Amino acid sequence: MANLVQEMKRTFADHDDFLILDTQFNGAAIYLIGFNTLIDFPKSNFYVRQMAERSASIEELLQNLGEQLDVDAGELKKAVLDGNLVVISENERNAIMQPFPQSLRRNIDEPRNESPIQGPLDAFGEDIDLNIGLIRKRLGTELLCHCSYQVGELVKQRISMLYIRGKVQSALIEKIDRQLKQIERDIETIDDLDKYFGHRKLSPVSHLFVTEVPFQAVHLLKKNRIVLLLENQPFALVFPHLISDMLSTANDRNHPLGLSIMIRTLRVMGVFITLVLPALYVALTTVNPDVLKIDLALFIAESREGIPLTPVLETLTMTVLVDLITEAIVRLPKSVGPTITMVGGIVLGQAMVEAKLVSNLLVIVITLMLIASSVVVGVQNALYIRSLKYPVFILASVFGIVGLISGLAIICIYLASLTSLGIPYMTFRYKGKEDIR
Amino acid sequence: MERLNLSKLIFALLSLILLCGCWDIKAINERSLPLVMGISKKNDEKYQVTLTLPVTRVKGKTRIITEKGESVSEVLGQLRSNVEDAIDYSQIRLILIDAPLAANHLEWRKMFHYLMSSKDIPSIALVAITDENIEQMFSKMSKQGLSGTALYDFFNKGAGWAPDVSNTRIWEVYQNLFSYTNDIAVPVVHSSEDTILKFKGSAVLKNGKVTANISPSENQLVRLFQHHHFIRNTENLGFATIFVVNSHLKNKPSITNHIPQVASDLFIKISILERDEGVSNSLVIDELEKRIEKRFNDMFKQTQINKTDIFGFGQLFRTRIPYDDLHSWRDKYYPKLIVNFRVHATME
Repeated sequence: MANLVQEMKRTFADHDDFLILDTQFNGAAIYLIGFNTLIDFPKSNFYVRQMAERSASIEELLQNLGEQLDVDAGELKKAVLDGNLVVISENERNAIMQPFPQSLRRNIDEPRNESPIQGPLDAFGEDIDLNIGLIRKRLGTELLCHCSYQVGELVKQRISMLYIRGKVQSALIEKIDRQLKQIERDIETIDDLDKYFGHRKLSPVSHLFVTEVPFQAVHLLKKNRIVLLLENQPFALVFPHLISDMLSTANDRNHPLGLSIMIRTLRVMGVFITLVLPALYVALTTVNPDVLKIDLALFIAESREGIPLTPVLETLTMTVLVDLITEAIVRLPKSVGPTITMVGGIVLGQAMVEAKLVSNLLVIVITLMLIASSVVVGVQNALYIRSLKYPVFILASVFGIVGLISGLAIICIYLASLTSLGIPYMTFRYKGKEDIR
Repeated sequence: MERLNLSKLIFALLSLILLCGCWDIKAINERSLPLVMGISKKNDEKYQVTLTLPVTRVKGKTRIITEKGESVSEVLGQLRSNVEDAIDYSQIRLILIDAPLAANHLEWRKMFHYLMSSKDIPSIALVAITDENIEQMFSKMSKQGLSGTALYDFFNKGAGWAPDVSNTRIWEVYQNLFSYTNDIAVPVVHSSEDTILKFKGSAVLKNGKVTANISPSENQLVRLFQHHHFIRNTENLGFATIFVVNSHLKNKPSITNHIPQVASDLFIKISILERDEGVSNSLVIDELEKRIEKRFNDMFKQTQINKTDIFGFGQLFRTRIPYDDLHSWRDKYYPKLIVNFRVHATME
């Protein structure tokens, strides 16, 4: 057996799925080497045999099969790990060929985290090439540029950057290009990638906006943004992430203008209600009841009659409980989720009010807040809006209405201070080229 | 080391924020919210303050508490320490004042100085005067089911519904204490067997002194001049009943040789609800115009004798009389004021 084959065998001795298949060609042995978990061996073998029948010599066969011929052992190993098939002949000639792969990818599916109404239903999958294809299919222009990177320490992972030439300033592209080339660690999650766009360790707002829908990604590309795709991640990452991403989707405009304005206004209201409502309840019941109209004041006083918890504790318990339930439902398998929802609903809504642990007005407030927090676009955005309500709430419980207003002001100031590579998060009209200096 | 310092700093800042907040606060259900405050002064020279507190434990129930003391502020302080919940005066809607106390000019001034400067009592609370015993009146009122908005609604029915009921707030009374050119009407109310209150007209106050009492129909004219409210009411002329749909007032002040003059035109639009046979439109219009003009002129003559500018004509002359002379508006100018009041009625 050839030395090269022996060496490969030694390298992959610990891999039970490593397979060396030997066949004959004109009396000489050739070896097909690869992982049977990544390669469909019977099909690939059949293909090699068919090619063998048409080839006169081993050299010709390898030429027909391979993309690369006669490479060194290191590259062969890498090719095997990448899921390619290595063909080695007895006289130490070799070739790397594209095999029939095992189907390890799901098909194009509907989006799981976004649900477009009246819009295209395909979503990104785990295969990066498929994802790029989905974008290319919608943007058939030579202006759509695609840069590919291989980064990582343990495994080289593919990252693709797409943009439309002429829309994005070249300085920005160069900046991102530099950042991506600097990456030395493995990129597994969005947060890993996020770090390379500037330091924002504890910030709830990411530099990248996540979307699962190619329609949205293409729309944002046309709006002068840059789309990054990670291998094995079923979504596109849009840079820069702006506040308008939270309030509008491309899909809104599948409705008439008036309706889409209404939808977006509702989202703004949702953000506002989520931030303000629990804080307002606490401020009005503890610190500043004097701003209420008398009948409202008496109504609230009546609904809180006999409740042992203070409004601050009461509201805090309920908001944390609701956030716990939301998180629990995400974690649970789909078959158990409804049970928790039902029991949670009964326990929270009915039993707590009847036990006079919380006032029924608070239950209304909390329900409204929960519903309102879900109207924003994107799971990531909904989560960060939900997290921002706590500082406002704490300030309101200490300082009342003044605290509520200053809490909102602080949030505005904080969000306005965020920039990603020099582009402010609060940009409302992102013009691309002229915008960046 | 640097890290430790940073966390210490954050801790210090956080405690600074949290500890300087309002910790001494009461939740809304631990506060008692009085709605009406009655102030009277009996012969024994002591203030008596009565409060109605809604009981939140039982829906629709109120209780009445009374206390006596040397001053209103002292009594309010006593009540605060005696009642089990914290009393929050910020929701007081109405302050009822005993007629004898209202007639006492000095006490009135003192009381409104306190009510205005007090941070607890809202300066937008309504003021009313009553002849009756306040405690008895309160118990009658609570029997009728006194709720939070009932009193506010009573005084704010709107010109379209009850054009004769007027309302006066604490700050307006306080303003009147110092005004050179404007006087004010404070509503007078009685208790009633079947409604919460009964409107009896208004007491006219001149710098805190009651100078006259006017009837509800006269009050309507006062409201028209003071606030430019529309008159929308029915008027019975004997041979016909008309309904005033809309009204509009125009005042043209002028001053010649220190004699102020106002040309006042009231335009009203009427519709005839019913009439006797053979009564023409022009007859109805003539009669109505005469009637309203007479009502005004009678009343105006009376106020000139009292030197009380209840219609607020002085406001029109504030820019036309030198400021140093303004304080003598009531004594020098007002008795000489000529008002040429004309009513122009049209059919709708």
